[in-house]
Amino acid sequence: MTAESPRTGLADSLLRQIAEALATLHAKGTRDAIDLRSLPLTAADRAELEEALGRGEVSARLEIAGQSELWETAYAGVWWLRHMGVGDQVAAESIEITPLPDLLASHPDDIGLAAARLTAELQDKAEEARHV
Amino acid sequence: MSDPGTIGAALAAQGISRRSLLKYTAYLASVLALPPMASRAMAEALANTKRQSVIWLSFQECTGCTESLTRSFSPTLEDMIFNLISLDYHETLMAASGDAAEAAMQAAREANKGKFVLVVDGSVSTGANGIYSTNHGKTNLETLKEVAADAAAVLSVGTCAAFGGIPYAKPNPTGAVPVSEIVTDKPVVNIPGCPPIPEAIAATVAYFVTFGKLPELDHLHRPKSFFGDTIHDRCYRRPFYDKGQFAKSFDDEGARAGWCLYELGCKGPVTYNACATTKWNGGVSFPIQSGHGCLGCSEPGFWDRGSFYKPLSAAVMGNRTLIGGAALAGVAAGAASVALARKRRQAALAEQAAAQKKAQEKTE
Ligand code: SF4
Repeated sequence: MTAESPRTGLADSLLRQIAEALATLHAKGTRDAIDLRSLPLTAADRAELEEALGRGEVSARLEIAGQSELWETAYAGVWWLRHMGVGDQVAAESIEITPLPDLLASHPDDIGLAAARLTAELQDKAEEARHV
Repeated sequence: MSDPGTIGAALAAQGISRRSLLKYTAYLASVLALPPMASRAMAEALANTKRQSVIWLSFQECTGCTESLTRSFSPTLEDMIFNLISLDYHETLMAASGDAAEAAMQAAREANKGKFVLVVDGSVSTGANGIYSTNHGKTNLETLKEVAADAAAVLSVGTCAAFGGIPYAKPNPTGAVPVSEIVTDKPVVNIPGCPPIPEAIAATVAYFVTFGKLPELDHLHRPKSFFGDTIHDRCYRRPFYDKGQFAKSFDDEGARAGWCLYELGCKGPVTYNACATTKWNGGVSFPIQSGHGCLGCSEPGFWDRGSFYKPLSAAVMGNRTLIGGAALAGVAAGAASVALARKRRQAALAEQAAAQKKAQEKTE
């Protein structure tokens, strides 16, 4: 047995903090984030928070520099982000209070590169067709 | 689009999306205790920055520090640090050897004069003019003085480089000293630990690349974000300490119930490091979670502090008691005794260093 299992009540405080941040997002459009990794959450606290927030309509799995899982909780605008590191351990975990986490949106630089790539591929295809 | 030569362009050339960078900066912000909202600005800044040239010198060391950094980096999130830096010289990791390796270092030094980060692991031998540890016909002492003169900053990685470590332990036959005793005109960051936490090494370099300056340091030049709290401050066994519940042997009922390891010699209350939160092997565990007390390996003079298995109130340094017997009496000692311990430790260390210097002078 370890001392990691008890419930400390931290989940309750976090829920109040999230509620406040969500109201601010609605009123002023100000986004916020809470870094879960830096908090002394026990396994029981984490499970309690996850259960209280529940799961909403959107979830995504990202395969970039290790796996990540993102989901909108049952409260619109409250997102849970979990990044796995070495050995499938949680490397970073946060709650973002935002309409859409930045990580889900395509970056303008990537869009630019993708546009160039697609155009080049189409040109190659057209070229190939001409030679056939 | 990112300019050629920048980290953003290098990532794009490898087909790595900017999402990866954003994910990495979210991770960095977390381990560096920066506001989580800082990650977006950090990712943008990094994308437009040139890769940081790093020269890594190994002196009197066991290669554990390099193992720490490389072992943790399977191709995952933590691996991203190698996209931010250009590791221009590292004897153990580079393919070149002999004259070719030295030529690579000279080229990197010249190309990045005043801009490269110098990482050193291992202590510096000064006895008999440093002849105990040499490389390519030069003593480590000469090499350090020469290369550090061109560096932007120096990172002393591991307890040996930061505080002298095991080579510095009595009787210190090689006259080992920490890097900071030789490099006195450049910013020196200490990242102690035997070995040091890999995230602390990577994040400190990443911070420098992102912000162009060093992170906030404590009185021993350690980054505060990793060395701001003691192991004890963040230890999950702390509730047992506070209640006075101590394991008396490694296999008694208390040990099996996960009680505090203070009486078994845990040095957590006087050891500043992030093992209790960052943990090891990708967050799997740390010594106390695996059932062994903290050895205090990241503190100055840890090897000469008496038994690893005696409680702090009995372990001595010089003749000074490190901490009062409050915990033994089952009372929550808390911050006051830790602060007292810190003061006493500093005094004891100064005394120890003076005694060691005297002894050294006598032998030379
Ligand atoms: S003395 Fe050691 S085991 Fe006990 S609470 Fe402090 S750090 Fe943890």
